[in-house]
Amino acid sequence: MARLGMLRLSHEKQDTLLKLLILSMAAVLSFSTRLFSVLRFESVIHEFDPYFNYRTTRFLTEEGFYKFHNWFDDRAWYPLGRIIGGTIYPGLMVTSALFYHILHFLHVTIEIRNVCVFLAPLFSSFTTILTYHLTKELKDAGAGLVAAVMVAIVPGYISRSVAGSYDNEGIAIFCMLLTYYTWIQAVRTGSLYWSAFCSLAYFYMVSSWGGYVFLINLIPLHVLALMATGRFSHRVYVAYSTLYCLGTVLSMQVAFVGFQPVQSSEHMAALGVFALCQAFAAYSWLRSSLTPALAELLLRSFMWLLLIAGSIAVAILALSGKISPWTGRFYSLLDPSYAKNNIPIIASVSEHQPTTWSSYYFDLQFLVFMFPVGLHYCFSNLSDSRIFIILYGVTSMYFSAVMVRLMLVLAPVMCVLSGVGVSHVLTSYMSNLELGRALSRTRSRRHPDHSYPGKQEVSSAVVLFLSFFLMTYTFHSTWVTSEAYSSPSIVLSARSPDGSRIIFDDFREAYYWLRHNTPQDAKVMSWWDYGYQITAMANRTILVDNNTWNNTHISRVGQAMSSPEEKAYEIMRELDVGYVLVIFGGLTGYSSDDINKFLWMVRIGGSTETGSHIHENDYYTPTGEFRVDRDGSPTLLNCLMYKMCYYRFGQVYTEAKRPPGYDRVRNAEIGNKDFELDVLDEAYTTEHWLVRIYKVWRCKMMPIMYTLGCGDYVIDLMVV
Amino acid sequence: MPLWKLSFAFVAFVCYLAASCEAQKTKDMLLSEKVQQLVDWTSRRSVIRLNGDKFRRYIKSPPRNYSVVVMFTALEPQRQCVVCRHASEEMQILANSWRYSGSFSSRLFFAMVDFDEGPDVFQQLNMNSAPTFMHFPPKGKPRRADTFDLQRNGIMAEQLAKWITDRTEVVLRVFRPPNYSGAVALMLLMTLVGGLLFLRRNNLDFLYNKTGWGIALLCIVFAMTSGQMWNHIRGPPYAHKNPQTGQVAYIHGSSQAQFVAETHIVILLNAAITLGMILLHDAASGMGDASKRKIEVRLTLHDKVQ
Repeated sequence: MARLGMLRLSHEKQDTLLKLLILSMAAVLSFSTRLFSVLRFESVIHEFDPYFNYRTTRFLTEEGFYKFHNWFDDRAWYPLGRIIGGTIYPGLMVTSALFYHILHFLHVTIEIRNVCVFLAPLFSSFTTILTYHLTKELKDAGAGLVAAVMVAIVPGYISRSVAGSYDNEGIAIFCMLLTYYTWIQAVRTGSLYWSAFCSLAYFYMVSSWGGYVFLINLIPLHVLALMATGRFSHRVYVAYSTLYCLGTVLSMQVAFVGFQPVQSSEHMAALGVFALCQAFAAYSWLRSSLTPALAELLLRSFMWLLLIAGSIAVAILALSGKISPWTGRFYSLLDPSYAKNNIPIIASVSEHQPTTWSSYYFDLQFLVFMFPVGLHYCFSNLSDSRIFIILYGVTSMYFSAVMVRLMLVLAPVMCVLSGVGVSHVLTSYMSNLELGRALSRTRSRRHPDHSYPGKQEVSSAVVLFLSFFLMTYTFHSTWVTSEAYSSPSIVLSARSPDGSRIIFDDFREAYYWLRHNTPQDAKVMSWWDYGYQITAMANRTILVDNNTWNNTHISRVGQAMSSPEEKAYEIMRELDVGYVLVIFGGLTGYSSDDINKFLWMVRIGGSTETGSHIHENDYYTPTGEFRVDRDGSPTLLNCLMYKMCYYRFGQVYTEAKRPPGYDRVRNAEIGNKDFELDVLDEAYTTEHWLVRIYKVWRCKMMPIMYTLGCGDYVIDLMVV
Repeated sequence: MPLWKLSFAFVAFVCYLAASCEAQKTKDMLLSEKVQQLVDWTSRRSVIRLNGDKFRRYIKSPPRNYSVVVMFTALEPQRQCVVCRHASEEMQILANSWRYSGSFSSRLFFAMVDFDEGPDVFQQLNMNSAPTFMHFPPKGKPRRADTFDLQRNGIMAEQLAKWITDRTEVVLRVFRPPNYSGAVALMLLMTLVGGLLFLRRNNLDFLYNKTGWGIALLCIVFAMTSGQMWNHIRGPPYAHKNPQTGQVAYIHGSSQAQFVAETHIVILLNAAITLGMILLHDAASGMGDASKRKIEVRLTLHDKVQ
């Protein structure tokens, strides 16, 4: 029956059905391939920043938009607090809140956490569909389908959009492609409808990611390129003028962006091109009603005027100090290595590293070879939209080479152009195959096609080869997604010797302990990495978090961690700390724990005035090594961080044939074993000792103070 | 008899006095001469080159009222010490900033000993690595902190200056001669391009040559995907030669790093595969005669297999 139904369809209908089928399968695939972590662990938010986004989203759904907008957060950066409404891009939170309310309106009572977890996969499905439409504009529906399937599983994009990775980038890529698609449509049609739609898409992009600056420079660049190639027309004029005016006004509605679109230098290119557009249009209008000689004169005098006015303006601005050419900032624009070599904060972040060829191959696989083929196709058949995609491809290629995290921006255009390239090669050979079969069926075998010998065989070989490449791409992408990009890092897993999986859920265990066993207003001190997670999961006040805006405050925490107990106690009392939380991997072999990060605490702690008693050299052995065993420096062996991590650790056997207190990360027997804590109490240690929580005594243990206004301590003692 | 004895003793005493006076005087002379000599040398060359003898006379032997910062190094090309050259450049910058600063005095001198000119010095100081920076204080022997810790502080002139200020209380401000080479190169390029455009101002059609632009952009793409930007920023070696076995490795073992040779191989492979794909298409869409197309197809397939 089904076959009959298929046969009855006309060719167009079959075509549409196939397209729909492939596209919807691609969309489903792009959703499901991102679910590895949900299947392996559970529906859980990943890493650090997503926890902040999750917390703000929860606030937004519970309290409403106006409270969210005016939100002053007193749970973070105690005692300073943080203004949240004005310092974030709210697009992500608003989107999830919208989904949440719509679903609840339909009586689908989904939890807000699940909305957050599945938002990024959902938006990558949308991206898949959008990529199809974008590529269709460049070549044809076939190329669109190939590109859509490719973007569904491209690892460079998956790395930021697996389920649970609830971050701005997850929806920003969709917004970016939506803006590009509507821009291409606006340029093609020159209609106000598409231009206004484009401005709205741009507004969505601005509200969701700081990377919108790339867009607002790329689109003017496209307009400029169209002018240079003599393709500037009324359509482009309408599209760009509308986009610039509407888009700028709209983008200024986002509190975090504010007046930047008319003040900062990153947005000035867009303004300049806007002015140029007006001048260009005015000149072409004037020229139509003037004699050629007069028009020439007008152009020349106008050029000179512009040149003189421009240089005077630059001179005035430079003299008054509004702009300063020849500074570091200027050089960093010209030469990407400048920032890396001269600004240590940029140099220290691993996401800001340049990209090796192997990470290109890891994240894009054979798209690396097919991208230039698509580029070549676009060049041999230029059009307005193809010029745009060429510009997008080459600029994002450059940026991704400078900074590895911008691979994310490159990945979609890689898929678009590779899709064009693959379908370009495939169509020419596929048609040969079809032709061959049709011929052999209708005509006799005595008259084969003589355009070249073995046409049929060669064509099938090429098609087979390309299919082989596509298949390896699929396997590679799935493998990368499963192995590299699907670990939530809040729940850890390891293989036991017999091959079964062990789950370490210590982080959540500790955070929930804090939530249920400490007073509501307790202040928790930890290193800044865990700040977002503690506020989101334990709902307690913290001193520093991942939004590292106040260096002196972080430094103060670093000082407390790296000082001896006496000194640390003073600092902790000054900051009103109730609990201290440390991450310790010595028992399980978890290497990114606080002891391995400790040197950063020392450095940051010693970098401000109040930390003058902390010298990095004191924490090394005389030979300049960082050791925790008996040869380690006494300063290290007696500082607060060491004592908190290794308290009672000296009694634990960790490995066979090793003495007790053997640290499995540093591979050393610890040097300071039997000590007691003077100002702290061990409050809680998780199952695998990954997180240890200590309570700070309200009063130091000094006999005199028992009776001097330390009420709660006295009671504690009585109870004991 | 006693008188004779007494007079002899007196004469002897006078003689001794005179002699010691003379000695003091020669010592003073020696010191001022030494300082004069060092100032002379410094005015000729801000980092004084010393051999074994000079090192012992001016730096080891006692009458001194000046600090000397000595760099022990091995600059001869056959020693293949790249770090030494960097260190020497930094030292030069530092010494120049001291010599031409307003507060220049004979309290502090910069000197260097090359291993090939004074190996005995290295032996004497029991030193077996270069470069090493040591400070010789005006009085007494150098202590542990008088050796600059290269591992920890690096070889930047600023760090050296901080250490010297620590040891000698002489405040040094490092003045780096600004690097104009980048600006000059940019200017040259601009003039070249501008000049070319000016010369061909009557015929600017070549600017609209699609193929030229296409090839240029493809080159950029290949350069970026093969990690040339990484090379530019990090400056890795071309290849690594194992000093023990003499084997040359062209491919880095880690995926976080790469050698220049490796990127060149990758750029060739990428370009070959892309070219193969493009030719593959052109061959099918009917250009050139049949046999040529066949060869092209075979070639490109071959490319891809590799």
